[in-house]
Amino acid sequence: MTSPIKPPDGNWWDQPVNRRESIWLGLGVGWSLILFGWMSAWTRVGDQNPIGETFRIDAEDYREKLTDYKDRATETDDGLVPPDRDVYLQAMRFQWDGAPVVLETGTEYDIHLNSFDVQHGFSLRPEDALSKQINLQVLPGYEWVVPMTFDEPGTYHIICNEFCGQGHRSMHGTIVVEEG
Amino acid sequence: MAHALDVLGLFDNEYRDDGFRTCSVTGLEVHRSVDNYVKLFGLTAVVALLFGGIFAFTVAMTRWEVVGLLEPADFYTHLSMHAWNLLIFWMVFMEIAILYVGGPMVLGRRLPITTVAKAGWAVMVGGAVLVNYAIWTTEPPNEAPLLTAYVPMPVSPLFYAGAIVFILGTVVAALPFFATMWYEKRENPKKTLPLVSFAAFVTSIIAVEALVGGLFAFVPTLFWRLELIEWWDAAWYRQMYWIIGHGTQQINLVAMIAVWYFLTHVVAGAEVVSEKVSRTAFILYLFFINLGAAHHLLSDPAVSTGWRLWNTSYAFYGATFASLIHAFAIPAGIEAGRRKRGKGGGLFGWLTSAPWSNPVFSSTIFSIILFGFLGGITGVMMGQLQLNMTWHNTFATVGHFHATVVLGTTVAFMGLIFFVIRTMFMRQYISERLASIQPFFYSAAMGIAVLMMMYVGILYGVPRRTAEVVENIPGTEFSLSAAAPLFAIFGIFALLAIAGGVLFVLVAVGSLVFGDRVENGDNADLVADGGLGMAQDPDDPVHAYEMRGTFVLCLVFLAAFAITYLLNWYLLTQLWSIGA
Ligand code: HEM
Ligand SMILES: [Cu+2]
Repeated sequence: MTSPIKPPDGNWWDQPVNRRESIWLGLGVGWSLILFGWMSAWTRVGDQNPIGETFRIDAEDYREKLTDYKDRATETDDGLVPPDRDVYLQAMRFQWDGAPVVLETGTEYDIHLNSFDVQHGFSLRPEDALSKQINLQVLPGYEWVVPMTFDEPGTYHIICNEFCGQGHRSMHGTIVVEEG
Repeated sequence: MAHALDVLGLFDNEYRDDGFRTCSVTGLEVHRSVDNYVKLFGLTAVVALLFGGIFAFTVAMTRWEVVGLLEPADFYTHLSMHAWNLLIFWMVFMEIAILYVGGPMVLGRRLPITTVAKAGWAVMVGGAVLVNYAIWTTEPPNEAPLLTAYVPMPVSPLFYAGAIVFILGTVVAALPFFATMWYEKRENPKKTLPLVSFAAFVTSIIAVEALVGGLFAFVPTLFWRLELIEWWDAAWYRQMYWIIGHGTQQINLVAMIAVWYFLTHVVAGAEVVSEKVSRTAFILYLFFINLGAAHHLLSDPAVSTGWRLWNTSYAFYGATFASLIHAFAIPAGIEAGRRKRGKGGGLFGWLTSAPWSNPVFSSTIFSIILFGFLGGITGVMMGQLQLNMTWHNTFATVGHFHATVVLGTTVAFMGLIFFVIRTMFMRQYISERLASIQPFFYSAAMGIAVLMMMYVGILYGVPRRTAEVVENIPGTEFSLSAAAPLFAIFGIFALLAIAGGVLFVLVAVGSLVFGDRVENGDNADLVADGGLGMAQDPDDPVHAYEMRGTFVLCLVFLAAFAITYLLNWYLLTQLWSIGA
């Protein structure tokens, strides 16, 4: 009795399973474990992980930090040169406050991300290699500190990729990475 | 007798004195109440499909910036209409119909408490109308909600109210299904449910979990919008929202798989090669699938790494494993079932001899293949913590979910509608030929459009949900113009896919209005080779038949999976170093 629209009768649980189906089940378990194992190992040994410390913070408090950071940073024609390894950005309709910013290759920076108003998306890529792109969610009320080390110099463009209102499409900023 | 309002005679099948009829295709005893409510919900779903489909045109033609149809202000409104009418209303009305098929119809019972079903339908329609009204009348400072209505973006309170009404209506409409299960179990405590009913039951439980999550997201947000409370938390909303936002996708998935088992059996003679294995897969879904909602939060700041790893992997890929089980069990069911019917020479004879000109069959098969290869594989890619950074909020995400909800679920549900037209509305297709072509045309065009969506997202980082980014980003020289050629291919195939969708509505509605009535014996061509009785011969067990062809297909699938996985990881490792 093997119709999906009739109740199976008798001892259906003990019906044998076809050999090829059993092999497939084994492959499925193996593949599932590989998927999990690789992903979790990469958080320890890999270089690309969406992982960083998070703090709760009011938009205004974050603005104060940002203002203080800007005071300490050096203004150049290309943008702000941060005073140390911390880089502050705040997303707000419809700009990236803190950008443009000038960084160096080979230095690990702590990129601080926060939103002043609604949710935004931090989408970053170098100008000359569009397939190298990463995307992080930016939330109001949270400060996310994501370390990044750039190895190629160039102009990196930030596009907002979370709908944040009329004008969303114009929300753009840059990170200029110079040879360090 | 037909109802006075039923001028088209759509609700007037002939029933015996006890209100039942015997379906000539499935052999099921179908009660009038089941027929009528499946039709009611199915028709409502098709209206939503048609309406949402109109916005597929305006949205796709805006994203193809060479055409650039809509102004940004209108674009977000249209995108919201597209998402809610298709992803929510088309699918959920269909799913209630599927619960009534999987419950009372398969069990040969009447639909109990029909007034509740009617009330549920009315409340759902009310909620849907309210949501549409709220979206369409969006005024500044409010913004269009899109699918997600993320706080704290100001969205009309009416929208949240409409969404809540719709959720409550859905729960009410599901009650007759639960009542059916209750009566069935009380009367036959020892009898095991048929697989399709069991799948419908699992769907309904996952649905209740999802709907409750929806209330957690929308009710406090409505209070906040009405200024009754001051509190909101963007991360909390996201977590609650995705319980329903992704939960409804799991409903789509499980309902679709129930439809796969049902239709492949009925029109192609598929059988269940192992009740034990297939049911275990559904149980795995029950336990693990809802964890998957976490894959929407992988690139979020507010959830811990361990939480993300555990949940996005559905606890060590428990639900992915379940899907791999169905990926074998369903084609194997077709293969072994057809070999048993003498229709399976060689490795793939069971497939080549199958009823490809029957749109019910071809829709189901395209749904299975395209869901697996395009939707399932990419879902696992973007559901990996690190790979998610390269998919999140890009157009590739849109590609992924059009592969699941359009190529997978919508195509399967179209197959079900084709089936319902013939066996419940009792109408011939207005054109056999157009009906046979539709699944091929739609699936092929949409398949290519979906691939382009994925490519522009992954290879050029084109974001989703924006009116302008390829030709021009206002205020800067920079743009993603390198993606323009792929967008041209996308645009053309999106238009073809929309034409395929129009064809579906024309054939479906045309058949209902103008199709010849099916008379005794007219549906014989739908019946699987050799009839369905064969599946019930205890001396001819299906698991003993060959499953070589399926095995080969599954190995090809696993190879495609592994290659895509490697490519995605290769791209990721090209990036600079990110994260602690
Ligand atoms: C020919 C058919 C279709 C075409 C050409 C099409 C095209 C599109 C495009 C271009 C977008 C997206 C854009 C953006 O993010 O800027 C989109 C979004 C979307 N579509 Fe479709 N679509 C089709 C059918 C469907 C169907 C049948 C469903 C559901 C069952 C669906 C569900 C969605 C959803 C949920 C979104 C996302 C809305 C959001 O971001 O909030 N689409 N579609
Ligand atoms: Cu933004």
